[in-house]
Amino acid sequence: MRLTKKSDQSAATSSTSGLGLSRRRFLQNSGIAAGGVATAGMMAPGMMQPAEAATAPTGAAIEIKRTICSHCSVGCGVYAEVQNGIWTGQEPAFDHPFNLGAHCAKGAALREHGHGDRRLKYPMKLVDGQWKKISWEQAIDEVGDKMLQVREESGPDSVYWLGSAKFSNEQAYLFRKYASLWGTNNVDHQARICHSTTVAGVANTWGYGAMTNSFNDIHFSKSIILIGANPAEAHPVSMQHILRAKERNKAHIICVDPRFTRTAAHANEYIRIRPGSDVAFVWGMLWHIFENGWEDKQFIQQRVYGMNEVREEVSKWTPDEVENVTGVTGEQMRRAAKELAENRPGTVIWCMGGTQHTTGNNNTRAYCILMLALGNMGKSGGGTNIFRGHDNVQGATDLGVLSHTLPGYYGLSDGAWAHWAKVWNVDLEWIQNRFDQNVYRKLKPINDQGIPVSRWIDGVLENKENIDQKDNLRVMVCWGHAVNSQTRGVEMKKAIEKLDTLVIVDPYPTHAAVMSDRKDGVYLLPACTQFETYGSVTASNRSLQWRDQVIEPLFESKPDHEIMNLFAKKLGFAEQLFKNIEIKNDQPVIEDITREFNKGMWTIGYTGQSPERMKLHQKNWHTFNYDTLIGEGGPISGEYYGMPWPCWGTAEQGHPGTPILYDTSKSVADGGLTFRARFGVEREGVNLLAENSFSKNSDIKDGYPEFSGKLLKKLGWWDDLTADEKAQAEGKNWKTDLSGGIQRVAIKHGCSPFGNAKARAVVWTFPDKVPLHREPLYTARRDLVSKYPTWDDAESIYRLPTLYKSIQDKDVSKEYPIVLTSGRLVEYEGGGEETRSNPWLAELQQEMFVEVNPVDANNIGFKDGDDVWVEGAEGGKVRVKALVTRRVDTGVVFMPFHFGGRFQGKDLTDKYPQGAAPYVTGEAANTATTYGYDPVTQMQETKVTLCRINKATA
Amino acid sequence: ADSAEEKTSQARPAERKVASFAGPEYWKAIQQGETGRTQSQAREANQLINVQGEEWRIWRNQWVTPAGAYAMGGTLAVLLIFYILVGQNKLDSPRTGNTVERWKRFDRALHWTVATLFIILAISGLTLLYGKFFLRAALGDSLWGNYAIACKLAHNYLGPLFVLGLLVMIIKWMKNNFFNSTDVKWFMQGGGMVGKAHPSAGYMNGGEKAWFWVLTTVGLVVCISGLVMDFPNFDQYRETMQQANLIHGAASLLLIAASFGHIYIGTAGTEGALEGMTNGHVDEAWAKQHHDLWYNEVKNKK
Amino acid sequence: MARMKFLCDSKRCIECNGCVTACKNENEVEWGIQRRRVVTINDGEPGETSISVACMHCSDAPCMAVCPTDVFYQTEDGIVLHNKDGCIGCGYCLYACPFGAPQFPSDAAFGERGKMDKCTFCAGGPEEDNSPEEKAKYGSNRIAEGKLPMCAEMCSTKALLAGDAAEVSDIFRERVIYRGHNDGAWAQAPTMQKTGADLAYDATQSKA
Ligand SMILES: Nc1nc2c(c(=O)[nH]1)N[C@H]1C(S)=C(S)[C@@H](COP(=O)(O)OP(=O)(O)OC[C@H]3O[C@@H](n4cnc5c(=O)[nH]c(N)nc54)[C@H](O)[C@@H]3O)O[C@H]1N2
Ligand SMILES: Nc1nc2c(c(=O)[nH]1)N[C@H]1C(S)=C(S)[C@@H](COP(=O)(O)OP(=O)(O)OC[C@H]3O[C@@H](n4cnc5c(=O)[nH]c(N)nc54)[C@H](O)[C@@H]3O)O[C@H]1N2
Ligand code: HEM
Ligand code: HEM
Ligand code: SF4
Ligand code: SF4
Ligand code: SF4
Ligand code: SF4
Ligand code: SF4
Ligand SMILES: [Mo]
Repeated sequence: MRLTKKSDQSAATSSTSGLGLSRRRFLQNSGIAAGGVATAGMMAPGMMQPAEAATAPTGAAIEIKRTICSHCSVGCGVYAEVQNGIWTGQEPAFDHPFNLGAHCAKGAALREHGHGDRRLKYPMKLVDGQWKKISWEQAIDEVGDKMLQVREESGPDSVYWLGSAKFSNEQAYLFRKYASLWGTNNVDHQARICHSTTVAGVANTWGYGAMTNSFNDIHFSKSIILIGANPAEAHPVSMQHILRAKERNKAHIICVDPRFTRTAAHANEYIRIRPGSDVAFVWGMLWHIFENGWEDKQFIQQRVYGMNEVREEVSKWTPDEVENVTGVTGEQMRRAAKELAENRPGTVIWCMGGTQHTTGNNNTRAYCILMLALGNMGKSGGGTNIFRGHDNVQGATDLGVLSHTLPGYYGLSDGAWAHWAKVWNVDLEWIQNRFDQNVYRKLKPINDQGIPVSRWIDGVLENKENIDQKDNLRVMVCWGHAVNSQTRGVEMKKAIEKLDTLVIVDPYPTHAAVMSDRKDGVYLLPACTQFETYGSVTASNRSLQWRDQVIEPLFESKPDHEIMNLFAKKLGFAEQLFKNIEIKNDQPVIEDITREFNKGMWTIGYTGQSPERMKLHQKNWHTFNYDTLIGEGGPISGEYYGMPWPCWGTAEQGHPGTPILYDTSKSVADGGLTFRARFGVEREGVNLLAENSFSKNSDIKDGYPEFSGKLLKKLGWWDDLTADEKAQAEGKNWKTDLSGGIQRVAIKHGCSPFGNAKARAVVWTFPDKVPLHREPLYTARRDLVSKYPTWDDAESIYRLPTLYKSIQDKDVSKEYPIVLTSGRLVEYEGGGEETRSNPWLAELQQEMFVEVNPVDANNIGFKDGDDVWVEGAEGGKVRVKALVTRRVDTGVVFMPFHFGGRFQGKDLTDKYPQGAAPYVTGEAANTATTYGYDPVTQMQETKVTLCRINKATA
Repeated sequence: ADSAEEKTSQARPAERKVASFAGPEYWKAIQQGETGRTQSQAREANQLINVQGEEWRIWRNQWVTPAGAYAMGGTLAVLLIFYILVGQNKLDSPRTGNTVERWKRFDRALHWTVATLFIILAISGLTLLYGKFFLRAALGDSLWGNYAIACKLAHNYLGPLFVLGLLVMIIKWMKNNFFNSTDVKWFMQGGGMVGKAHPSAGYMNGGEKAWFWVLTTVGLVVCISGLVMDFPNFDQYRETMQQANLIHGAASLLLIAASFGHIYIGTAGTEGALEGMTNGHVDEAWAKQHHDLWYNEVKNKK
Repeated sequence: MARMKFLCDSKRCIECNGCVTACKNENEVEWGIQRRRVVTINDGEPGETSISVACMHCSDAPCMAVCPTDVFYQTEDGIVLHNKDGCIGCGYCLYACPFGAPQFPSDAAFGERGKMDKCTFCAGGPEEDNSPEEKAKYGSNRIAEGKLPMCAEMCSTKALLAGDAAEVSDIFRERVIYRGHNDGAWAQAPTMQKTGADLAYDATQSKA
């Protein structure tokens, strides 16, 4: 559709390149004062003086930068046009294989990042309730001194390092390493409150906790079931692919959601379920599948373990019971199950509607089991297409910005530390000594999961005797994370007030800066956005993409890795942190960081994506096939775009990346894979390895365990290693052999380095071996509590006491009769500070609201547009506009969670540093959300709680 | 293909429901002005089709515009013919040289203020309605553009002043203008055109009273409709504006046509009439001839 | 000569407002003016349908017919543009427009609406192509650069199509064939349908 360029003239002029210039200001600088034009506008043609340009337009050259949208995980490609250092244009990247130039509202508004009108412009400090501008030196000095003092008094675990899914891979990796060298596992990021239950549930089912296929691969789906996902708002460009499947492939789309969403509007069938009843729903589907023998028996026999135990549980979920629990009729269940059975391959897409529950790990496993039963796994058009959240939440998760693991999911065992110490070239003992040496519940803090982001407020407020660390949290560092995204806002305010110091490292001040009544002890450090630096980012489909730097840092902001360097220097471990990494002008060199993680990320194959390869992919993104993502001709023919991990072995080995996980129809060398052998080879006498199933060209025509030096010897393949590789592979396995030789040889023989096993439908290491339906802690269906109760309270999960039964036992459903759920709006992202500060987006959503069914609104007595109070079951209240709509069912209300800058009716706008308040403020939904955490990952419960609504008077 | 499609739609009632929705009924609904939801904050942005828009355009462009032209042109033509055939209404008897005060300073000031405003409003209003048909070509784009902007500014800011002036005029002069039996006779004699003798008249004759009341009624309609359009800051709907515009256009054109008559009579039509409004005094001869009852009254008072 | 048209495939439009922000970005339109908007009918119920709408560059444009100052003109491509210098802000174009396309920066007393702004099909205005003046007053002129409207180019699902009417309808027709039924696209004033030759005719005439 693109016409040929007729002329190349542009509005470019030579101008002083200033910081934070918008195109409008850019034009002004070129001598056409906007004011002049405006006044001239009052005059008619002819009266207008020909523009007197002070500087004649010279047509400054347009530089084209290739970057990636920094909002969601679809990973849309962007062409940024830069003139004289100013971001003057944004062109659609028609040749980008994920989006073909398309963008949703957020992506289409990216260029505003080059204006940053409402950004935090310099370091600031709260003094007597006033924001004071300070220098970077002073900021680092004062904050650093405070941290060192707290470390001295309370140990390293009293400083909390909350990182970000906004980091590039390099920054994310550096951040985890940085926290480790500081000596704590109290480091985490958004993934905890996003897809942690997915990662845990899915990884424990078949190996890796990630999206198995890709957005593009959905083109091949024959059926698509979306459960608890609203891509039309949360991953809009993915709808390009979903609708393509619907149109071209006649894919049948089923949308399962308590709300009639914009996604539901495009489905063939919409199924409204009661919030928090996903397991019951899936079992209800499986009941029909098993009942009619629609399951893929051969697939189950060869590649699945434990389906019989699931069958047993499923048999209890008769249509009547399912209808009672989920609200879905047997007829609709059967119809939906039949569609899935008749339209294979099919894929399941889930998102926060499934993950953000106390029972999140059960939900995610149930979805996997559904796909296993239908034999949809490891197939093009099939798979569990788990749409991740932030632009780089996949990367930040993979690179271990998490309190329970080091980069690459190596965990926190001594072996894991040894592996990384070796990669880092830092003395293991030195690292160990950086940690608190006491033992809590038999674990040393270095080996113990740190406090998760969802619970940091309890880390501050809980009686310190009950926490498995030396002292409470005293310094909180929010480094690219808005706190209004976490539940229990009222308690959070208390926690913020109790802290010694709050440090916010962010391009924007965020809700955290204004929500408390603190008068001092808050520092704001301006980080720059990902457009002011460069590096790699991992999209939801596991592709790694390289971002160019678009502009220089605006104002006094600095890139995150530079800030890490400044702190590390102050805190005294910069030398260890940057052993392998060169520092240029205070900035650690990004490519050096990439190369370092390439050296250690064997588990998930982040080893093949060298900076050079990634840059080559980026430069040639037009050479990849829109359906399969395979390079067709050009310099990287045969590789998959972005080398979706695992990209095995070293970069030199040239693995093309794995476009579809567990796809046995391709050889491993070409991106094929088997299920991972992660849970042993046998259990209770039953074989856990695959049977008669193996990937194409495999020399082993059956299941096999994970590869190690020992196994190579046993197979007689040891001599395929070079001498050098042999030296390094001795006593090592595929995860720890830094030469990559073991992986290389396994792949040479057509084998997956991680073995070839069955997926497991039961996870014996989890609280519920077979996923069970359990009522939410705050449920309106008290009649179901005795049959489907929650777990018993736990003394310690992730260092903290965690309540279940004692909360569920209290019946508050009379006072708080309405189910409250929450989620996304297309225009805003996360806590929303960034997007609410973007006028092009802010204009589209100017008011925080709650969706209420007309019946409830009439019963309570308010109308569309009225102000109402929504009070959560723990007493947090928000004053919002009522949006009366049939999107929600009676008895269920929905709030978006992107608003902030108001708290329980109070406007906090004047508490922002001058000029840094977002265009739009509103109550944070999470002021009203309540307690509730998944026992496996500590995911917060943001999708089901109870509330009451009253019309607000005056 | 048809039967296959039928089959699938039978098998998938839900799909049929969703997929076939954007069919004829749907398009019909939006063509009838169905509203929905939108994130745009613009007024009435939630309506896809402005169904009244076309009606308004037709009314304005195909009815008001030509009808107004006919009305004004017709009136002018009638007056011209009348003038050619009948000529000026001369004083029957020569001027006496004695004058009577007819209009006080304030009244004159009021009259000329309102009249001036009226004329400016008429010219600017007519420019908005007809200007583009010939003025643009005549003046050239640049001059035309500036002139149009001046007209619009004049019209929008002077309009409310006119409203005030007109209200004062109505209140101040109302008492002169109640019809009585004299006026009936005046009208029956066609204001002097039927028969030879001059019909009797008080301070104001029947014709003047008629002009007054036309001005009062139609003028207020013009004012109110004008104010509705001039103050769009009360969140008026498009439809309100469209209606106001049509009413305003029609009424103001009527008024302009009527004013031609008034102006004619006040100037070329009647010898000596203008003096009363210019210097406030009229010749006794004129007073006797046109307003005998009033003249007697004034004489008797003395 | 090309006849430029928009077509919004309502089976694809997901109300993501990408087109709306793309326009803001490309044309730097001030707060309060959106040249494009997305309207959703039957929101939250089965049958929910969204349509993105802006100026449709009508063949026989009503705005043009009522403008007292005659500032509108139509390019050879059929794009309806206007000269802001001569605009008096009377609002008539908005009253007449079937799609509510014209927008005004204000709505103040004494009819102070400022200069009308509307979608230019990313074709700027009467000033010299891509001059700074044109950019400041009308936004960018992509057409002169041989590019198409930004809103359509960036549409997240390719629901919004823009370009030569023949090409656009070919694309849509192809989709219709894939889908097996002709449903939902939005192209032109229903009042224009009578002209027959218009793309709108195809698009709004559902054969169910
Ligand atoms: N515009 C925008 N896009 C985003 C983001 C954003 O903030 N804004 N954030 C990104 C991030 S971080 C993420 S994680 C993704 C999230 O993307 P999504 O998960 O798709 O978005 P949500 O709106 O949180 O939730 C999806 C749906 O879950 C439904 N739901 C609620 N409770 C239940 C339940 O009990 N069961 C089921 N089955 N469904 C339920 C809700 O009604 C909602 O429609 O979006 C990413 N994309
Ligand atoms: N009630 C409710 N709560 C929820 C959810 C829900 O559905 N309902 N969803 C949850 C989910 S899935 C998620 S992921 C979270 C999301 O919530 P958050 O991740 O807290 O939300 P964001 O506002 O996107 O936070 C990112 C922050 O990073 C900053 N930032 C952007 N770029 C950079 C950078 O380059 N460097 C640095 N240092 N900072 C940067 C932004 O300004 C912003 O403040 O919210 C969770 N909370
Ligand atoms: C150049 C144009 C005009 C001329 C020469 C003119 C002349 C006159 C004269 C001479 C009189 C006095 C008649 C008398 O003494 O009996 C008069 C009265 C009046 N004129 Fe005008 N006039 C003009 C325009 C207008 C306009 C535009 C209006 C209305 C807006 C207007 C409204 C009136 C009214 C209301 C009266 C009094 C009639 C009554 O009270 O019955 N005149 N005019
Ligand atoms: C009494 C004398 C008046 C006359 C003869 C007159 C005549 C007109 C005419 C012919 C138009 C153009 C209609 C069209 O183009 O469709 C017009 C428009 C308008 N008139 Fe008047 N009008 C008069 C008084 C007023 C008054 C008193 C007001 C307001 C207080 C007013 C406000 C307007 C407005 C707001 C418009 C729309 C044009 C715009 O806003 O640019 N007019 N008028
Ligand atoms: S937010 Fe997501 S879907 Fe939207 S443009 Fe950015 S990457 Fe693409
Ligand atoms: S859509 Fe409206 S503004 Fe655009 S050409 Fe048609 S009438 Fe004019
Ligand atoms: S507002 Fe401007 S463009 Fe619209 S009709 Fe009036 S003068 Fe013409
Ligand atoms: S064509 Fe250009 S001006 Fe018109 S709505 Fe689209 S982006 Fe805006
Ligand atoms: S960008 Fe496309 S899909 Fe999104 S609202 Fe606009 S037209 Fe609809
Ligand atoms: Mo997320």
